[in-house]
Amino acid sequence: MSARDTILNAIRGGLGNTEIHPMAVRREADALLQGLPSIRPPLLEDGLVDAFIARVTSPKVAATAERIASASELPAAVGRYLEARGLPAVVALQPAAPLQDLDWSGFELHDEVAPDETIAIGVARWGIAETGSLVFHSGADTPILANFLPLHHLVMVRADTILPFLDDYAAATAGQRPPRNVNIVTGASGTTDIEGSLVLGAHGPRFLHVVIVGTPDSSE
Amino acid sequence: MQEATLSFKARAKEALADPTLKIAIDRTTGTAERKRAVAMTQFPQFEAARERGKRIKDHVIANLDHYLLEFERNAIASGAKVHWARTAEEASQIVVRLCKEAGAKRVTRVKSMLGEEIGLPHALDEAGIERVETDLAEHIVQLGGDRPSHIVWPSMHRTREQVSEMFKRLHRAPHQEETIEAMVDSARRELRDKFLTADVSISGANFLLADTGATCTVTNEGNAELTTTPPRVHIVTAGIEKLVPSMGHAIAMLRLLVRSATGADVTQYTTFHCGPKQTGDRDGPEEFHIVLVDNGRTRMLREGMKDMLRCIRCGACMNHCVVFRQLGGHVYGGTYPGPMGAVLTPMFDGLEQSRDLPHACTMNGKCQEVCPVAIPLPTLLRGWRDRSWREGLEPTAVRFGLGIHTFVASRPRLYRLGTAIAVRVMRLFNRGGLVKGMPGLGAWTAYREFPAPAKRTFMEMYKDQEKGQ
Amino acid sequence: MTTTLKQIGAFSSPPRVGLFVTCLVDAMRPSVGFATLKLLRDAGCRVEVPDAQTCCGQPAFNSGDTADAAVLARHFIETFEGYDYVVAPSGSCVGMTRAHYAEALADDPAWAERARRLGERTYELMSFLVDVMHFAPADVKLDTSFTYHDSCSGLRELGVHDQPRALLDKVSGLTLKPLEGNDVCCGFGGTFCVKYPAISNAVVGEKADAIDRSGASLLLGGDLGCLMNMAGKLKRKGSSVRSFHAAEVLAGMAGGPAIGEER
Ligand code: SF4
Repeated sequence: MSARDTILNAIRGGLGNTEIHPMAVRREADALLQGLPSIRPPLLEDGLVDAFIARVTSPKVAATAERIASASELPAAVGRYLEARGLPAVVALQPAAPLQDLDWSGFELHDEVAPDETIAIGVARWGIAETGSLVFHSGADTPILANFLPLHHLVMVRADTILPFLDDYAAATAGQRPPRNVNIVTGASGTTDIEGSLVLGAHGPRFLHVVIVGTPDSSE
Repeated sequence: MQEATLSFKARAKEALADPTLKIAIDRTTGTAERKRAVAMTQFPQFEAARERGKRIKDHVIANLDHYLLEFERNAIASGAKVHWARTAEEASQIVVRLCKEAGAKRVTRVKSMLGEEIGLPHALDEAGIERVETDLAEHIVQLGGDRPSHIVWPSMHRTREQVSEMFKRLHRAPHQEETIEAMVDSARRELRDKFLTADVSISGANFLLADTGATCTVTNEGNAELTTTPPRVHIVTAGIEKLVPSMGHAIAMLRLLVRSATGADVTQYTTFHCGPKQTGDRDGPEEFHIVLVDNGRTRMLREGMKDMLRCIRCGACMNHCVVFRQLGGHVYGGTYPGPMGAVLTPMFDGLEQSRDLPHACTMNGKCQEVCPVAIPLPTLLRGWRDRSWREGLEPTAVRFGLGIHTFVASRPRLYRLGTAIAVRVMRLFNRGGLVKGMPGLGAWTAYREFPAPAKRTFMEMYKDQEKGQ
Repeated sequence: MTTTLKQIGAFSSPPRVGLFVTCLVDAMRPSVGFATLKLLRDAGCRVEVPDAQTCCGQPAFNSGDTADAAVLARHFIETFEGYDYVVAPSGSCVGMTRAHYAEALADDPAWAERARRLGERTYELMSFLVDVMHFAPADVKLDTSFTYHDSCSGLRELGVHDQPRALLDKVSGLTLKPLEGNDVCCGFGGTFCVKYPAISNAVVGEKADAIDRSGASLLLGGDLGCLMNMAGKLKRKGSSVRSFHAAEVLAGMAGGPAIGEER
């Protein structure tokens, strides 16, 4: 008997060989997610964007955040970020249209992220207010390594893509073919492996800066 | 995998005599305990979430064959290759074979307790494949040539001073400054090029999502992506109990897992992998393999340990265990330490050689209280004691003693007499309110005083009082 | 019947309580038994001390010797079944009867059912006084400070936490100094402390240090086993903290020698 069959038979035996009705299992599984709102952690603020920012900048996530009115202001925001830290205007830019279409004059751009890249700029598909997380999908315009190699990671996220809870992300993508890789990123890379004390910049970025564009009901 | 041949008690004695170990344990588990407590106050519905989590896992276990097949179907549809392994050996052989087929010289590994369980590090080393542990703690374990001592912080047994010494000795460009930040930097430098030049990456999974065939992994360091993205082949090993119906269920479980493990709300990186590189993708592996491992899990199902299959490997039980906090993880001798390890190790390694583990517990119930999926760990441990008793593995002296005790205690008059005599004997050794030098009390009096009994038993005095009335 | 009485919080006639003194109190510290007797009587119970009582069977049960535990469980049930309530000054013995008898007798449904029904009427002393009898001690005075250790079985199997504190709060002159890690096991664990004495010692050593740090003069608790363990360690390290069972203080009977003092 193949390992697969041995295991499946052993499970059936262990469970008492009861018959399984897929529809009933499905209903039961769905029921287990009923009434979720009553068992979720509270959001930090009333407004979605405020709640998101409060979480992103809370000590638990320890990232920084700012708001801009429209994406066209992003290059200026990046400029300010670099200047404040005395960094050169050499950035890796994610090859995604919302970023590539902006006016980056004054910057030296490239789209391959080097292993010791100082700063990379990316765009997240969603923000999550519950946890202050950013969601990335791998794809033609999203190299996954770009989120992990740079020391500084600057991420743009549109206010109207900020979702209240992690479950809302699951709901928003239910039924779609998943990308190879979904990354839910919450703050900079960290480790507590030496005596439990948190140190940022373990293998991934040491600094995460989130730029929120527009308002929840604007399309910009 | 067995720690040398020392007995549990001998290993415990060594651990108790090691003050550095105790410092290291307290620093890590103490922080974890405090942070978890804060996280609980910030999530008032945690109890309800815990009940939900328990039900989700129970539901999956009750329909495990159904979910495994659904997962397999969807994983294959996403382009993954699914393998099944009955035993640890079978699992690690599959992984080694896949590495060889990929012509792998160097593999990078993301920490996975299942990998430890199936002896993967050893199997890779044996096969002559260079193994790079990318999780900082596993890196420390690898440098130190020892084994993980905690399921969340594998290098918990090392103080920062020890880590610093090791890095200085073994890193190519070690840190200069004596800070934890500088040490982390040193590891970052040391590992960076290895991430990018490996041929195969191996990771575990915290959850397997049945409805998409995706696997879910949580890390804080970001090493999972750096590890699993560049190589041509990515292999995931996972226990068959890791299934959840969908991402929504995984999220409900994640809320429990992370808070219980580290006190954070989510890990820095929550990652879902689904199949190999897709058309148009900028990066990612060309081959994606999933090895589903039984290794005793179906036996647990059969042998009354179903509850243990809920375990999500958060480590809260050990962080809150008074015994673990004195001994650390190595003493347990198996892959998994602490209360959950004491339940699992007799399963993996046999009861006869690990019968101490279920006994070395005060049954205080704290582990069950903090377990995010409400596993009745003390009950399971007592289950092992029961079995050990029935299989005749318990020492004769204990069997004899308890037999006599029961004989006497089920005969009240004999019992009264026995107690009265015992009290009088103890009184013979009374020195100022403490029993001193009485044979048979050495285990107690080696470490603490034994308070002397009163001159007569309660029952004797009570009867006299009644008569007097 | 008793539940109705409990619900209205008043008894038409005093409840008949069977006192289980526990084997440890019987042999080692009868004063705890007499204090319990007094408290139950003050609370308005008709208390009897059945002569046939012995041991609850926990040592056997926790050693894995389920058959012997079942023998003693049956004996306990037969001895106490006739009472309205069974009360013991120990969370661990009551935890055994309430939470584990049914398990020990699982092979015998009729007995398991009897165990379950008796378990519902079996109480740890502090919780019985507060939750069932709504009792508070009057005119008890003790000018000193105490710290309190919550023994594990009482705390986790029976939810005993607030009750002893509420009762002790009524003792005039007595102040509570919180114990760091009050809900952390003391390392006693029944047979554990003699099977793994070195580990047990390391645990109780930390406990004794925490007790000393509390700055209290007295250590109180609700389980004699744990108290003997902690008192024994405190004595060995030369601490001046004196240990009593909470019942002794509540009954105004803490004037005598503490645990481990000459009587
Ligand atoms: S037994 Fe419970 S507390 Fe322990 S690791 Fe497993 S899930 Fe966590």
